[in-house]
Amino acid sequence: MTPTITTRLATPEGYRSAAVARFVWQLDEQRRRLTEDTRGLTPADLEWQSAPGMNTIGMLLAHIAFAEANLAQVGLNGEVTGHPHDVIGITEADEGMPLVSGAPPAPALAGKDLAFFDAALASAREHTRTIARTLSDADLMADVVRPPRPDGTQRVFNKGWVLYHLLEHEAGHHGQINLLRHLQRAMAGSGAA
Amino acid sequence: MHAPRQRILVPVAGIPSPEIGLFLAQMDDQSRRLTEDSRGATVAELAWQPRPGTNTIGMLMAHNAIVELYWISIAAGIPCDCQGLLGVGMDDDGIPLPEGALPPATLAGKDLAFFDDLRARARAFTYGWAKRWTADDLDRTVPWTRRDGEWTVNVRWILYHVLEHEAGHYGQINFVRHLYRSTPAGAEPVAPGTPT
Repeated sequence: MTPTITTRLATPEGYRSAAVARFVWQLDEQRRRLTEDTRGLTPADLEWQSAPGMNTIGMLLAHIAFAEANLAQVGLNGEVTGHPHDVIGITEADEGMPLVSGAPPAPALAGKDLAFFDAALASAREHTRTIARTLSDADLMADVVRPPRPDGTQRVFNKGWVLYHLLEHEAGHHGQINLLRHLQRAMAGSGAA
Repeated sequence: MHAPRQRILVPVAGIPSPEIGLFLAQMDDQSRRLTEDSRGATVAELAWQPRPGTNTIGMLMAHNAIVELYWISIAAGIPCDCQGLLGVGMDDDGIPLPEGALPPATLAGKDLAFFDDLRARARAFTYGWAKRWTADDLDRTVPWTRRDGEWTVNVRWILYHVLEHEAGHYGQINFVRHLYRSTPAGAEPVAPGTPT
């Protein structure tokens, strides 16, 4: 008898909006897969660069956590200024992105182990969940108007876009992390030095 | 004073189910960004491998198109006519590439217009079905056979998966473009354990 595995995009309970709850389900599904795909990574794996100026897996994990906390604060919560460090203990300078051309990995992340990045990611997600539970269907269409930037540009987005952006942002960097793991294996296997 | 830059997610008009319309809006946003970020990629760049056995940008673009067609066909309960609708076979993307292998010959010499066309055809197929589906279709379950057994998935999950699958490979394409620009012609990326 072949076992049947069921995968349904579900609607978690505890949210004001079913639509928001389904976004959170998708975020959590991404996180489950990211967690699975990163098990076993050593500090050396986490700070390996494929070439000078390229992001490491550790930098990408820190960036996912930083961006999530920041987007939840300024995007979902409508705060004027993000303060992700209060949630994840990592600053924008610490994550080191964008890395300058030819630069080595972000020094603040040197030697950090997987548990460090797991903790930052978990803190960011709990923070997102706390805010997301309060959002209504109408909030998804609510515009957030950001203060003008120094160059005169101004961003306007709705909270539905923020939830989508959280998902695609993590998915994109998750894909890059998997590519880096593949590249590490391919290069180790070829005996390249 | 610059005009405000807007990121407003709204369901695509003309789709019976707003939730499906919202998935389409997200997929289209991913495609728009992938299109923007891939302009200027030459035939050589599209076929460039960071290392033997790793995917090229062209392979990833073809893979996105094939996988979208595959999953929407499953959601629709019809056989996947990849050759007929895209003009390439299911395996012509070469993914997964065997260890140490070179890119598939089927994609050799293909230019950006070729891959743009594949992606556009796949998306048109998705639109064709999305226009027929209602909100009830989102909870409809369909069987899916994989090497590890029989799976049951719902259409809502399929739409999510098509989206996140495209997003993941879009991220990889950006990474490979960055690596291509960072790697001197003829050189290879740095091996693990090598100080940089």
